[in-house]
Amino acid sequence: MLSLKLAFKNLIGAGLKTWLNVLVLSISFVIIIFFNGMMDGWDKQAQTDTIAWEIGQGQLWEKDYDPYDPYALIDAHAPIPSDLKSQITAKEVLPVLIVQASIYPQGRMQNIQLKSIPADQEILELPTQALKTEALNTPAIIGKRMAEATKLKVGDQVLLRWRDKNGTFDAREISIVEVFNANVPSIDNGQVWVSQASLAEMTGLQNEATLLVTGKNYEPIKDANWVFKDHDFLLADLTAIIQSKKGSASIMYLMLLGIALLAIFDTQVFSIFRRQKEIGTYIALGMTRSQVVKLFTIEGGAHSLLAALLGAVYGIPLFFYLTKVGIPIPESSQNAGVPMSSEIIPTYGAGLIFGTLLLVVVAATIVSYMPARKIARMNPTEALKGKIQ
Amino acid sequence: MASIISIQNVIKRFPVGKGHFTALENINLKFGKGEFAGLVGPSGSGKTTLLNIIGSLDTPSEGTATVMGRDIAGLSHKESAALRNQHIGFIFQSYNLLPVYTVFENVEFALLLQNHTAAARKKAVMEALEWVGLTDKVKSKPAMLSGGESQRVAIARAMVKRPDILLADEPSANLDAKNSHQILQTMKQLNQELKTTFIFSTHDEKVMQYLDRTISLKDGQVAKDVLADVAKV
Repeated sequence: MLSLKLAFKNLIGAGLKTWLNVLVLSISFVIIIFFNGMMDGWDKQAQTDTIAWEIGQGQLWEKDYDPYDPYALIDAHAPIPSDLKSQITAKEVLPVLIVQASIYPQGRMQNIQLKSIPADQEILELPTQALKTEALNTPAIIGKRMAEATKLKVGDQVLLRWRDKNGTFDAREISIVEVFNANVPSIDNGQVWVSQASLAEMTGLQNEATLLVTGKNYEPIKDANWVFKDHDFLLADLTAIIQSKKGSASIMYLMLLGIALLAIFDTQVFSIFRRQKEIGTYIALGMTRSQVVKLFTIEGGAHSLLAALLGAVYGIPLFFYLTKVGIPIPESSQNAGVPMSSEIIPTYGAGLIFGTLLLVVVAATIVSYMPARKIARMNPTEALKGKIQ
Repeated sequence: MASIISIQNVIKRFPVGKGHFTALENINLKFGKGEFAGLVGPSGSGKTTLLNIIGSLDTPSEGTATVMGRDIAGLSHKESAALRNQHIGFIFQSYNLLPVYTVFENVEFALLLQNHTAAARKKAVMEALEWVGLTDKVKSKPAMLSGGESQRVAIARAMVKRPDILLADEPSANLDAKNSHQILQTMKQLNQELKTTFIFSTHDEKVMQYLDRTISLKDGQVAKDVLADVAKV
C-alpha cells in the first residue's frame, strides 16, 4: 500500500512526462479493445447471419455429400427419410437438393450449383416466397453477388442447362424473380435457387435431398444415409478464418503496445538515472533496496492503471457510439468470401476488457521492473552524491 | 558513559584501478549517548566515509564498527535498513528533500516506514515542525523553501522518529552564516532535550564552535580527539 501511494505521488508529481506516456499507452489500450471488439462483433454477426441464412440449427448431410467436392454432387442425394415427413410438414426441417448446372447469361457459360428449397419454408431468411411468383418460365432467386457477377436482374430470363437423374442433358429458360441481399456469400456466389417442386420435376429426383436444414424444434432421427452436422462443425471454418484475422490484426496492435512500453522503459531508465540522489535518500531513510525497487516498478506499472482510466474517459463513449452506429465496412470487403455485413456492430465482453487490462498492466510492470533491478546493485553512498553508476 | 557507537581498528579501502585507496586507517573511536561531536578535517580526510560506516550505508574493509550493539559488517541489507529506520537519522549537505512531496509529507516519510497510525504520524510531524519553527509551511513544496528552511525540514525529517543517532554531513555548507547558526542552535537544543547523539562531518568553523567534542581526521587517521570547554557556546 505504501509503495502504491508513494508511486502514484511520484507519478503525478512528474507531470507532463507521465501524462504523455499515459496517453500513448491509453491509445494502444483503446485500439486493442476496439480491434478485438470489432473482430468479436464480426464473429458474432457472421455466425448469426450464417445460422439465419444457411445452416439453421444444424444440417443432416447425405452421407456422400462433400461441399468441397463438386463431383460428389452426382451421387450425393438420397430419399428424404419418412421419419422426417411430419417435421417437414411442420416446417421444422427443410430439404435442399443440390445439382451441378450451367447458365448462359449474355451468351457466356457459367457453372453453378442449382439448389432447390420449399417455397414456403420458414427456417432460413432466404426470400423463398418469391418462388411462388407466376412467371413466364421457372422462377428462380439469386443473391446480390451472383447478380453482379452475371449482370442479371429481376425480370431477366437466362438459359439453364442441367443433367437429369439418368445423366441426360436438358435445358430451359428460368426467370429471375428476386435478387436477395445476404451477408453470407456461401448461399450467393455461383448459386441459383429454385423451388423444390421445380427441381424435382427437372431432374426426376422426386422426394430426394442432398441436405436437410433443421429448425429449433427438430427431433433427431437415426438413419444410416444421413449424418447430422451441428453448429460447431458447420461454423468451424468461419471461426478459424476470424481467429486468423484476429491473429494478423494482433501484430499491429502489439507493435503499438510495444512502442508505448518502450516509452515507459525509457522513462524508467532515465528516471532512475536522474533520481539516484533520491534513491540514496530513500535507502538512508530506512527503505530496503527491495522496497525501492518495488517503488520504481510500481511507478512504471502504474502508468498502465492511469492509462486504463484515461482510456475509459474517451474509450467508453467511443465504444458506446460504435455499438449504436456500427463500424462501416467497405463494399470491397464484403466480396472477400466470408460473411460480412456492411456495418459491424462491435462486441465488448468483460473478458476482453479485463484481459486487455491485465496484459497492459503486466507488460508495463515487467518493463518497469527491468531497469529498476539495477537499484538493488547501487552503492547508496555514491547514489547520495548523485554520482553516475 | 556507555557507548552506543564503537569503532575498533577500522580500515576502509576503495578499489582504484588495479590498486586501492585507503580512506580510513586504524580508526578507534567510541561515542556515547547524547554526545554532540564532529569529525573535522580537510576534503578527502575520510569524514564522510566514517559517517557512512556509522550510518550502515557502508561497511569497513577491516575492523569492527558496532552501532546500537550491532556489528555493521554482519548486517544484511534488510537489517541495516531497519537499523537506519529505527535508530539513525541523516542530514545532508544538499538537504535531499523529496521534491514531489510537501514539507509535511517529507517529514512524515520516515514514520511511514515504521507503520504508525495516521493520527500518530500527524502528531509527531507537527511536533517536529514545531521544533524547527516551520508549522506554517506544511503544505509547501521544497522548491518553495529557502536554503535555511529546507535544512530545517531535513532536521525535522531526521528527528521526527526520535533517533538515537543523528548523522549530519556538512549541514551548513550551503547556508549563509545566519542560517548556519540558526540550524546549529536548533540541533544543539534538540541534542539537549532529546539526548540524541549528533555526529557531524564538517570543515566549517561555525559548526566547530558548537561541538562538545572535535575529532580531527587527517589522511584517514585520527589526528586529535578533543573535548571542548563546556562554557564555550
